[in-house]
Amino acid sequence: MISQFFILSSKGDPLIYKDFRGDSGGRDVAELFYRKLTGLPGDESPVVMHHDDRHFIHIRHSGLYLVATTSENISPFSLLELLSRLATLLGDYCGSLGEATISRNVALVYELLDEVLDYGYVQTTSTEVLRNFIQTEAVVSKPFSLFDLSSVGLFGAETQQSKVAPSSAASRPVLSSRSDQSQKNEVFLDVVERLSVLIASNGSLLKVDVQGEIRLKSEEKAGLFLLSYGPGIRVDEVSFHSSVFLDEFESHRILRLQPPQGELTVMRYQLSDDLPSPLPFRLFPSVQWDRGGGGRLCMGCGFPGTDCSLLPCSQALNVRLHLPLPRGVVSLSQELSSPEQKAELGEGALRWDLPRVQGGSQLSGLFQMDVPGLPGPPGQGPSASAPLGLGPASLSFELPRHTCSGLQVRFLRLTFRPCGNANPHKWVRHLSHSDAYVIRI
Amino acid sequence: MTDSKYFTTTKKGEIFELKAELNSDKKEKKKEAVKKVIASMTVGKDVSALFPDVVNCMQTDNLELKKLVYLYLMNYAKSQPDMAIMAVNTFVKDCEDPNPLIRALAVRTMGCIRVDKITEYLCEPLRKCLKDEDPYVRKTAAVCVAKLHDINAQLVEDQGFLDTLKDLISDSNPMVVANAVAALSEIAESHPSSNLLDLNPQSINKLLTALNECTEWGQIFILDCLANYTPKDDREAQSICERVTPRLSHANSAVVLSAVKVLMKFMEMLSKDLDYYGTLLKKLAPPLVTLLSAEPELQYVALRNINLIVQKRPEVLKHEMKVFFVKYNDPIYVKLEKLDIMIRLASQANIAQVLAELKEYATEVDVDFVRKAVRAIGRCAIKVEQSAERCVSTLLDLIQTKVNYVVQEAIVVIKDIFRKYPNKYESVIATLCENLDSLDEPEARAAMIWIVGEYAERIDNADELLESFLEGFHDESAQVQLQLLTAIVKLFLKKPTETQELVQQVLSLATQDSDNPDLRDRGYIYWRLLSTDPVAAKEVVLAEKPLISEETDLIEPTLLDELICCIGTLASVYHKPPSAFVEGGRGVVHKSLPPRTASSESTESPETAPAGAPPGEQLDTVPTQGDLLGDLLNLDLGPPVSGPPLATSAVQMGAVDLLGGGLDSLMGDEPEGIGAPSFVAPPAAAVPANLGAPMGSGLSDLFDLTSGVGTLSGSYVAPKAVWLPAMKAKGLEISGTFTRQAGSISMDLQLTNKALQVMTDFAIQFNRNSFGLAPAAPLQVHAPLSPTQTVEISLPLSTAGSVMKTEPLNSLQVAVKNNIDVFYFSTLYPLHILFVEDGKMDRQMFLATWKDIPNENEAQFQIRDCPLNAEAVSSRLQSSSIFTVARRNVEGQDMLYQSLKLTNGIWVLAELRIQPGNPSFTLSLKCRAPEVSQHVYQAYETILKN
Repeated sequence: MISQFFILSSKGDPLIYKDFRGDSGGRDVAELFYRKLTGLPGDESPVVMHHDDRHFIHIRHSGLYLVATTSENISPFSLLELLSRLATLLGDYCGSLGEATISRNVALVYELLDEVLDYGYVQTTSTEVLRNFIQTEAVVSKPFSLFDLSSVGLFGAETQQSKVAPSSAASRPVLSSRSDQSQKNEVFLDVVERLSVLIASNGSLLKVDVQGEIRLKSEEKAGLFLLSYGPGIRVDEVSFHSSVFLDEFESHRILRLQPPQGELTVMRYQLSDDLPSPLPFRLFPSVQWDRGGGGRLCMGCGFPGTDCSLLPCSQALNVRLHLPLPRGVVSLSQELSSPEQKAELGEGALRWDLPRVQGGSQLSGLFQMDVPGLPGPPGQGPSASAPLGLGPASLSFELPRHTCSGLQVRFLRLTFRPCGNANPHKWVRHLSHSDAYVIRI
Repeated sequence: MTDSKYFTTTKKGEIFELKAELNSDKKEKKKEAVKKVIASMTVGKDVSALFPDVVNCMQTDNLELKKLVYLYLMNYAKSQPDMAIMAVNTFVKDCEDPNPLIRALAVRTMGCIRVDKITEYLCEPLRKCLKDEDPYVRKTAAVCVAKLHDINAQLVEDQGFLDTLKDLISDSNPMVVANAVAALSEIAESHPSSNLLDLNPQSINKLLTALNECTEWGQIFILDCLANYTPKDDREAQSICERVTPRLSHANSAVVLSAVKVLMKFMEMLSKDLDYYGTLLKKLAPPLVTLLSAEPELQYVALRNINLIVQKRPEVLKHEMKVFFVKYNDPIYVKLEKLDIMIRLASQANIAQVLAELKEYATEVDVDFVRKAVRAIGRCAIKVEQSAERCVSTLLDLIQTKVNYVVQEAIVVIKDIFRKYPNKYESVIATLCENLDSLDEPEARAAMIWIVGEYAERIDNADELLESFLEGFHDESAQVQLQLLTAIVKLFLKKPTETQELVQQVLSLATQDSDNPDLRDRGYIYWRLLSTDPVAAKEVVLAEKPLISEETDLIEPTLLDELICCIGTLASVYHKPPSAFVEGGRGVVHKSLPPRTASSESTESPETAPAGAPPGEQLDTVPTQGDLLGDLLNLDLGPPVSGPPLATSAVQMGAVDLLGGGLDSLMGDEPEGIGAPSFVAPPAAAVPANLGAPMGSGLSDLFDLTSGVGTLSGSYVAPKAVWLPAMKAKGLEISGTFTRQAGSISMDLQLTNKALQVMTDFAIQFNRNSFGLAPAAPLQVHAPLSPTQTVEISLPLSTAGSVMKTEPLNSLQVAVKNNIDVFYFSTLYPLHILFVEDGKMDRQMFLATWKDIPNENEAQFQIRDCPLNAEAVSSRLQSSSIFTVARRNVEGQDMLYQSLKLTNGIWVLAELRIQPGNPSFTLSLKCRAPEVSQHVYQAYETILKN
């Protein structure tokens, strides 16, 4: 059972501290945790830490540490799940999760915690259920305005670059709507896919898998939705949110759901090995390695325009090629196919940034590097095999309006509205982004 | 207006301002004020001074304000118990409120106020709330029972709340059921013997029904509870499995893992021939694979669990190799776990794929990961015979990279490959030797030396190579020194003529110049072996080595079974049994898999992990230190020599002699052997003087100290002390002490009536304490105690009571009741009453445990002014169940190695250093629960000084 829960700012100051069992060492625990965390070598903190009989499990969210402690042998999964649910809940109730919003809403957060956890037992994490019990209203920093829709980003997609601006709608607390009834009702439906690919040095595909999510966020208690995606789409593994009714799913791929207020993942799916469409990118690297002046490396990389699934009308954003280089690289000369692009050395790797890649286009880059410390290739003369420390190349990118599985939402219908509100605005968005797109060299 | 202004710096009159606002007439203002108070409380400011003012705000019909006040109360009630009583009336009133939210709020908050005085007022409202018409109130009340039980267990039992709680398991509302199950499970854990959660097919059925209806969190409680049930036969197990399986596709990973735990456990009871068994196996894989697409933290926890599952039932995931391929952006902790699982899943079918991956990993940049990848290649070679050749060539390629850590790691694993496939890949030795100079890590050096020694006859310059290592002998780590010693002896046995000097050199380095007892002992053994019977030496040292088994670092089967029962808990992340890290008695109940009790019995034996003890990393010719020394001592050592020790030169002489003799018989059939005279027996005086001295007195003592065991006398008893003076107890004076006699603990009490009236109706009760001490029988005072009368009673104690860590650890709070009043006092019990009589640890066990306990758990104490000698100390301690496992004499000091065990199974190991003539002893204690060390030390003091 959970003994304590606390939220620490990125500097380690306790913002929220709650003790559920009365049996533990007080506030020093928060300090102890932070000391342990910062005392660790490296930046990858272990998931579970312990000190004497106390076990810490934490997640980092929006720069805050959400920490749960326990002194019993309980499920770390439930703690991790709970922490991420709490992060969502606090976001739902306070508008957004952050140091400022938390300290503005201390009383609300404690009230929430009291309803979510009793004596360390999780009671519920459903925004909908909690709504019946919560009395305190959120304090919001500035009134919400819904003008600049262009800035409305994807609330669900945490892409690698995290370049997506947070939606202004997403930072409005779900429950503060009592005051602004006039606001338009909005529903967001996002299909987000993460693509991991592994391509061997000979160009053969070793592994592909797509992890997708359909996420829904509704501002008001929105009633009953009908949602459907095209039949004939194959997915390997599906799991649904508990509020989804599946009676018509098998026959027509229709999901009926009664979403609680706030944000939820309607469906999560996975697809591996056989993709219905070719990969969005192909990369053909070639390496030449010779002894000239203590080791020189020539790299050519090309994206062929054909043979990939990007249609000419679509585009990829924030494409970046990341290529680890052997130690001691000193200089780089480059020949790129377009001036908009940029390649530079940094942290022992080559970064080639392509802000925008139009579908069907063909790109190439030629890089030449001097590596003084590099021992020559094993044989005489130049070698085409990669020296140690070079590669594998990884690509990161975002593909708006594109899903690798081919899954497209056909319709989103609101079949029942609770109280004569106007029809909500519905936003349906699709996005694919890279998770680990690796090409070995 | 925002709350951020609550955080402005403290001005002098802030408390006063808040006070004024709290007493304001306006509701809004009050509310804002309480919010400010709570904000100050959170940042650690002391606002307890406002307690009465805040409590005054409690009587309001505004729910928001009420909640805020309750929040404040929970925080400060403990420090202001008298004030908290002020709030009781409002609590009791709120428990009757028409609004269920308020009723629940009141009962929830009262439970959180951990003040003893409040508990008695809590009972009636709680009883009502447990039967409330509103499920929200009932579920809150169910949790409240657990809270109350934690504060006052006896009260909960007396009031019959446990029965009410049991009834709630059949409640119509699933949330109530889930909370009742959670509360009962927790209460049951502190009473391992009680049968609170009486699981039977009917109640299981109810739980399974509730499972489908309650929230995800409730499902976790119920599944965890199910996992503790043992079905009566395979049919029941199957039907439970069928109803649990749908949980595998739940979105909450905790639900999934709890379901996996239930299935893994009950599968044990299913026959493998059953179709259903196969179906179940297939169903287990997808949810586990899905977990690997979660965030890295969850992935890590999932991988640790999968690691266990794969060891228990590799068939579950044998087709899923690809999902364990490492992604470049995985955090390192995920990478290492994935690698481990890849090896466990490697088989002939997928080895090519695995090897190709591993080779890629070995060229990455992350050093730790690369090392592990290289090691993994070696493990593949050992596991899948067909791939050995390919693995070796891959390793050779890696050695060619000349990257230092890759080379070293490769050499370490090649050594293992040589062990597994002797005389097959020796052609690579030349390549290995080229890299000799670049090796700077002990493990790699030791591995290389082992290879040179093992294949000395094929390496032309083996003697030169080994000699080069010998130059810096004292700078090497112990691992390398031991290996070097063995390797040179091997070399000598193989090429006796050229290496005589070398072996003498190493033997003298090992035996005379080294402080390491292991090294010295091994040196003496070889020396003695070579001197007495070189042929036997050859048989021993060059004996055929047992093959190493395929799987290394498997978790041993019994632990694995226990961990399988703990899937989805912290134990599965640490890969340690819960008892190793959970405080005190809680959860120490060892869980085990159910036996297969099939109604349709199949003859197939249950599949367990491959039998046979996996050998450790150490690949010596000698099995383990302990065995070796034990064997040696079973040989005839001759009587200990009491003569004066000879000078070193004499030993040198003896060594030459004995080697001469050894050589002769080694090369007996060579006509022109060394022209030495015939075999010279080692001079009886010379050898034992140096060999015999440490062995005779040190080693034999170390291993033959069995005398004097079995005296079953009671341990030391302190004189009675006054625990409760008459002044404090209306004339009742209690003095007492604790004794332990023949395995049973008792509390000897002396009750004196110093009042003017007769005392009757005595009863006694203990508060929960660290070791679960509890009266084993009621306090029996047969006749009324008349004034000035004294009665002596011996109250038997058990250690089966409920456990709560106290501060200090050995304090005991006692309540004694008589017809006049109830009196409380607190006393400290000496820890030695808890030392059990079977606390003598096996010697090897002792060695292993001592090494195994981390050094930070070691505590050192001084025992001053104790005039006893080692024997007297040993026997005196033994009568209090502190057993001397071994004794040795080092540089004139007596070292006693002792063990003792507490009633709750905690072992304490001790090293007691006694210098003759010095009355101060040094006591080093090692224990997995270091907090007991201080008290064990006190017990030593008490026993030795009285």
